[in-house]
Amino acid sequence: MTTLSGQQSAISSQLETIAELPPHETQLQEFWRILKKDRLAIFGMIVLGVLLALAIVAKVTTEWVVIFDPSTVRLPDKFLPPMSGASADLIPTEDRPVFGVYLFGTDELGRDVFARMLQGSFVSLSIGFIAVGISVSIGILLGGLSGYYGRIKLGFITVDTLIMRFTDVMLCFPTFFLILTVVALLPPSIYNIMIVIGVTSWMGTARFVRAEFLSLREQDFVVAAQALGLPEYRIIFRHMVPNAMAPVLVSATIGVASAILTESGLSFLGFGVQPPFATWGNILSDGKGFIFDAPWLFFIPGFAILIVVLAFNLFGEGLREALNPKLRRR
Amino acid sequence: MWLKRLLILIPLLLTAILLQSYFWVPTYETQAKGNPKRLLKYIEASSGDAKILNPILNADSASSSIVGMVFEGLLDLNENLALRGRLATDWTITEQAYLLVDPDAQLPNGKSATAARLERLIQHALDSGSLPELNGVLLHIRQIPSEVRTTTVEVRTPDENDQPKTTSVAVSINVPERVAFMLSRVDQDFFHRLTPIIGEQYGNNFQLDKYIHITDPVDEIVETLVKAQFPSLLSVTEHNPELLFHLRQRVKFHDGQEFNAEDVKFTYDSIMNPRNISPRTSDFEPIKYVEVLDSYTIRMVYKRLYSPAITAWTMGILPEHLLNETAMQAEMDERDLSEATRETFGMRDSQFNRSPIGVGPYRFVEWQGDQFIKLDRNDDYWDGPPEYEQYIVRIIPDLLIQEVEFRTGAIDFYSALPHQVARYREDDTYQNFSSLGFGYVYIGYNNRKPLFANPQVRQAMSMAINVDEIIQYIMYNEAERVTGPFPKVTEWYDESIQPVPYDPDGARALLESLGWKKNADGWLEKDGKIFEFNMVTNSGNPIRKNIMSIAQNAWKKIGIKCNTQYFEWAVFLKDFINTGDFDATVLGWSMGIDPDLFQIWHSSQAGPQQLNFVGYNSPEADDLIVRIRQEYDRDQQRVLTHQLHQVIHDDQPYTFLYAAKGTRILDKKIVIVNREPDGTEQYEKIYPLKSGAIRFYFNKWRKLEHTPAF
Amino acid sequence: MAQARAHSGLLTMWTYIARNILQRIVTLLIVSIVAHSVIHLAPGEPSQVDPSNPRMKPSDIENIRAAFHLDDPLHLQYAYWIRDLFTGELKSFKDNQPVLPKIWQRFLNSLPLLICATLIIWSLSFPTGIHAAIRRGSVYDRSTTFTAYALISIPGFFLSYIMILWVVDTFNVPVIGMKTFGMEDADLAFRSMDRLWHLVIPSLMSAIGGIAVLSRYVRSQMLEVVGQDYIRTARAKGLSEDTVIYRHALQNALLPFVTMFGFLLPALIGGSVIFEQIFAWPGLGRLGYEAILARDFPVILTINFIAAVLTLAGTLVSDLLYAVVDPRIRLQ
Repeated sequence: MTTLSGQQSAISSQLETIAELPPHETQLQEFWRILKKDRLAIFGMIVLGVLLALAIVAKVTTEWVVIFDPSTVRLPDKFLPPMSGASADLIPTEDRPVFGVYLFGTDELGRDVFARMLQGSFVSLSIGFIAVGISVSIGILLGGLSGYYGRIKLGFITVDTLIMRFTDVMLCFPTFFLILTVVALLPPSIYNIMIVIGVTSWMGTARFVRAEFLSLREQDFVVAAQALGLPEYRIIFRHMVPNAMAPVLVSATIGVASAILTESGLSFLGFGVQPPFATWGNILSDGKGFIFDAPWLFFIPGFAILIVVLAFNLFGEGLREALNPKLRRR
Repeated sequence: MWLKRLLILIPLLLTAILLQSYFWVPTYETQAKGNPKRLLKYIEASSGDAKILNPILNADSASSSIVGMVFEGLLDLNENLALRGRLATDWTITEQAYLLVDPDAQLPNGKSATAARLERLIQHALDSGSLPELNGVLLHIRQIPSEVRTTTVEVRTPDENDQPKTTSVAVSINVPERVAFMLSRVDQDFFHRLTPIIGEQYGNNFQLDKYIHITDPVDEIVETLVKAQFPSLLSVTEHNPELLFHLRQRVKFHDGQEFNAEDVKFTYDSIMNPRNISPRTSDFEPIKYVEVLDSYTIRMVYKRLYSPAITAWTMGILPEHLLNETAMQAEMDERDLSEATRETFGMRDSQFNRSPIGVGPYRFVEWQGDQFIKLDRNDDYWDGPPEYEQYIVRIIPDLLIQEVEFRTGAIDFYSALPHQVARYREDDTYQNFSSLGFGYVYIGYNNRKPLFANPQVRQAMSMAINVDEIIQYIMYNEAERVTGPFPKVTEWYDESIQPVPYDPDGARALLESLGWKKNADGWLEKDGKIFEFNMVTNSGNPIRKNIMSIAQNAWKKIGIKCNTQYFEWAVFLKDFINTGDFDATVLGWSMGIDPDLFQIWHSSQAGPQQLNFVGYNSPEADDLIVRIRQEYDRDQQRVLTHQLHQVIHDDQPYTFLYAAKGTRILDKKIVIVNREPDGTEQYEKIYPLKSGAIRFYFNKWRKLEHTPAF
Repeated sequence: MAQARAHSGLLTMWTYIARNILQRIVTLLIVSIVAHSVIHLAPGEPSQVDPSNPRMKPSDIENIRAAFHLDDPLHLQYAYWIRDLFTGELKSFKDNQPVLPKIWQRFLNSLPLLICATLIIWSLSFPTGIHAAIRRGSVYDRSTTFTAYALISIPGFFLSYIMILWVVDTFNVPVIGMKTFGMEDADLAFRSMDRLWHLVIPSLMSAIGGIAVLSRYVRSQMLEVVGQDYIRTARAKGLSEDTVIYRHALQNALLPFVTMFGFLLPALIGGSVIFEQIFAWPGLGRLGYEAILARDFPVILTINFIAAVLTLAGTLVSDLLYAVVDPRIRLQ
C-alpha cells in the first residue's frame, strides 16, 4: 500500500528470521499469559471475535433468512442519513427495512447500507481468509519441500535451489502491479481475486517455513523420529509442521489484513469484486463519489475497514510477541 | 549530543520547508494576483489522456477535442446543425448517372436498346414534358462508347492453417455502351423515373458472365468467390454524386506553409492508404476519385449514393508537406530506424501525431503524457485570433478530484456528473450548462434468442421499467426520455412518438396472454421453463450498474428473473457483444449528426463483431435505412427518418431509456467577449445553442478578473 | 602470506559478485518469460484492436494484429519483444510511440515524489522509533505503537481523500498534479514553491505506511541492541545516557538499515498506482495502470521488466552493502 512496500517486505522477512523458534510443544499457557498482558492485542482479538460472529450472522440474515435485505432498491429513499426512518407513504411495506429504520442510512439507490455492510463483512472476510489460506498452503508446501527434501537432486539442480529460485522470480514482480495486471486480464470473479492475491503472496511464508524446517530437521526430536524409522509424512506433519506453525500464524493474521486492504485498493481502481457481491472495498469506492452528498457512504466502510484491519494487525503483533521467546526474555 | 539534536532537527526542518511552500500557492480568489496572464489561459479537465493527435487516425474523444482545436475541416456545423464552410468557401453537389446499354433488353416500344436510341427517347420525353420531375434536374445526356477495363479483385480464403489469406485476381471487363446523365442534384430515384422509357424489367436479366472474365488461373473456390463480387464490378445503373469544393485562399498552416487543394487530396489519400489503418475509411471508401482542378478547387466523385459522405469533410485537413513520402523518409533517417521498422513505418508511427500542425485556431505546444496538453493561440487564424492565449487540457482521472480542483480555481471547466450539478445550481460563483447530447442509453435484447424473439415480449419488458424514475433518481433529471434511435437534438427524431408507458400490470397481462404464467415461486413460467436470463454490461460505469439494479428489481416484481453480470470493457466486448452471446445488455450509443443507421440497425450488420449485435432484423427498417443513406435531400430524409423511428419504436428491439444531458460547469468569470468596431469590449453571458453545444463561440471566450453582472 | 589472503579474499569477492549477477540474469530471463506468457495468454485484446470502434473493419483489425505480431506463436512474439526492447525500437500498442523514452519521462516524474517520501520516512521514523524504544512501555510508546498500526491499517485512498478535502476546504489551494497550471508566467520563486507544495501531500500520503513500518522497526532494533552486554558495559562505565544511546546503541542498530537502500528504487513502481491515480500524478505507476487498461502489452511488459531489474539490482546492492558493513557475514 505504500511506496515502501519493498521495505516492508524486507522488514517482515527480517522479523520473521528473528521469529525462528526452538520447538515448544506445551507452552500454550505461557503464551496466553503473555498475550493477556498485551491490551492492544486483546482489543484486536475481541474485535475479531465480534467480527467473525457478525460475518456468520450476516451470511444467515442477508442470504438464507433475509432479515436485512441488501439488494432492494427504494429510489424515493435514496441518500437518507443514518438512523432515519423509511418514508412510510412511498415505500411498500414488504420493501421496508427491519424496524423501519436505516441504521447506516441508504445509498444512491436507496439500498440499506447496514444490510450491505453486513453482507460485505462476510465477503470481505472470506476474501481475506481464503486468499491467505491459499498463500499459506502454497508457502508451507514449497517451503516444506525445500526445507526437507532440499538436498535431492533433479538432474543438475537441487530441489532447494529450484524452489528458492522460483521464489526469487516471484519476488521480482511488483506485487500490487502484478495483482492488478492479472485481475484486469482475467474475468472479474470474486474467486479470481482471492486466488490472485493468494498466489502472489506466499513467498514470505515459503521462505521462513524453509528456514524453520532446516533448523528443525537438525533438532534432536526429529533426528530421533527418523532413527525410529517413522514414516516421513508422519515426521513432517506430526512433528515438523506444528512446530513451524507459530510464525506462519503470525504472518497469516497480518496477511488477512493486507488482503482486505488489497481488495479495497483493487476496488478503488475498478478491478475489485463485482456486484452482486458487496464488499467493504467496493462500498467504499462507490461511496467516494458521493462524499459531499452522503458522507456516510464513504466514512462507514472506511472506518469499518480501518478498525478490522487494525484489529488483525494488533492481534498479529500480539501473537508475534507472545510466540517469540527472544523478545519475551527482555 | 549532536546526533540527537540532528535527529530532531532534520525532520523539523524538512517539515518547515515543505509546509512554507503553501504560502506561495494561489487560491481561487488570488489566481490572477501577480500573474495577470492567468486570465488569458483556459484550463480544462479531462479524465483520459489523448492517444493520437491526428484527425484521420484518432478515435477517442480526448484526442478529437484537441484535434478540433488544432485542425480544421472543409466544413463544420453551424448553430442549427447545418453545414457551413470553413476551409471551403462554398460547395455544390451534383450527380453523374450512368445507364448500361443492355442489348438483350427490350424497350417498351418493342425495340432493343442502344445508346443512341436511349438518348433520343429520354431527350424527347424531357422536351415533351412527360418527365416533369426531371425538368431542370437532368442537364445533359451523352453516349459513352464501349470499352475494356481491367482490374483486380481481392478475395479472402482460408489457407492450410485456417488463417485467412488474401488473394488478388485480375479480371477484365468489357463495358458495353453507356448513356451518361448530368444531374443538377442527386436523385436516388432517377432511374426509377425513367421506367416509362426503359421499362420495368430493364437490366434485370443482364448477363454479367458475358462481360466479365477472370484472366488469372484460379481454383474453383476462388472463382466462386470472385464471381460473387461481379455485381459490384459492373452494374446496370450507377449513381456518381460529385462534390465540388471551392477552397479558402491565403490560409496558412501553423508552420507558415499555405493551405491548398493538394492538402485535401493528400488527406484523402492518407485515409485510404492501408498502411495508415485509418478508422475513417468507411466514410471515404465510397469516393471514386479526387480531382484537383486548381489550387483552390477540388472535386470528389463518389462511386455510389452515400449522403453521410459530405459530413465526413468536417474532418481536419493534414499538411501534405509534413507527411508526404519525402517527409516520412526524412523522419526515418533522423530517428535512425532499423530496416525492419522502416518496412512497416506509416503515418501512425510519425512524431507528427505527438506535435501536430494544422490550420486551426490554436497551435500545438506541448504534451506531457497523462499530465497535460498545451496549445497556444494561432495569431494568424483566418477567422481572427481567439481571445484566449493558451488552451490547456489537464488529465485528471478521478471525477471527484476534478471537482475539487475546479473549486480551487486550478481548472476552469469540467464535465460534471449529474449529481455534482445539483450542487452548482444555486451557486453564483459558477455557471452550469445542461443540454442534450448526441447519445442515448438503452437496454438491448438479443432478438435472436427465442425468449426475446417476439416484439410483444420486448414490449412487456419495456413496460415494466419506470424510466421516469431512473431519470429522476439516477440522472437527477439531467436526462430526457427517448423513444427511438436518433439523437433528440436533431430533426431526424420524431417528437410525436409517445414513449412506452410504465405499466407493470399491463406487462404482466401481456406476458400472460403469451402463455407466461406465475408459478409457485412467483416466477413466470411457460412450458416448464421459468422466464430467466442474464443481463451483462461493462464494469466501471456506475450509472449503467444502477440501471441494471433497477431493471433487475423491476422485472423481479412481475416475475422475471434477471441475473446481472459486469465485465471489464475489453472482455465484455470480446466475449459477449462481438460474439452475440448474451441475452440482454445495458449500453449507450453516441450518434453522429448523420441520419445513417446502417451499421447499427441494418440486418446485414448482425454478424460477429458488427454493431447490430442485438440481431435486429426488419425488412421494412432495412429498406428505410438504405433509402435514408442514399437520400441527399434533407426534407426527404426527415420524412424517412420519422418513418424509421416509428418502425423501430414499434419493434422495441431495445428499451430506449434516455438521452443524457451533457452537464458542464464553468467558472462564472468566463464570458463571451464581443469587440465593437471602436475597440471597446462588450461582455455577453455564455449560452448553449439549440444543439446543446456551448463552445460554438469558444474563440470569443475569455476570463474576467471579477464576476460580471448580467 | 597476509597479502595472499587479501588477494584471494578479493578474488572470492569478485567471483561472489559475478556468480550473483549471473544468477540474477537467469532469474530475470525467467521473470520476463513468465510475465510475457501470462499477459499474452490472458483474455482481452489491445485497445487499438478494440472493435468497439464502429468504423473499424475486420480487415483493419487484421492489419493491426499483423503489425503487432499478435497472431505469431508466443515464443516468436517474445523474441520480437526482446529484440525491440534492446534495440530501443519497442513501440506502444496504444499510440505507436517508443516505449523507453515514455517510461524514462514517467520515471523522472515519479522520482521527486519518491525522494520526498523517502526523506519524510527516514527523517521522521528514527526520532519516533528511538524515542519509543528508550521509553519502552510508556504512554508515548504505546500511543505511537497504536498510531503506527492505525496508519498501516487505513486504506491509502480513504486517507488521501479525507486529506485532500480537508486541505482544499481549509486552505483553498490546489493540491492535485505536479503544479498549478496557468502559472507559467509567474516568478521562478512562485513556480518552484508551487511545485514543492504539490509534492507535500502526495508524498506524505505515500510515506505514511513507510513511517509506521520503519519507526516500528527502528524501535525493535534499538530494543534488541539496548539489551546487549556491551551497552550494559557502557552504562556501567558511567557514560551519559545520550552517549550510550546515540553513540553506542544507535550505531550498532543502524546496521540492518543499510540494506534497505537497495529496496528504494523498485518501490517506485509497486504501490504508487493508487496515489498517482488520485493525485493525477503522471508517474510510472499510472503509466502502468493506463497500460493495463488499454492492454498495452509492450508497456506493461517493459515496466514489469524494469521493476524486476530494479528489484534484483536492489537485492544485489543490499547483499553487497551488508557484506561490506558487517564483517561477520562471510561470503559463501
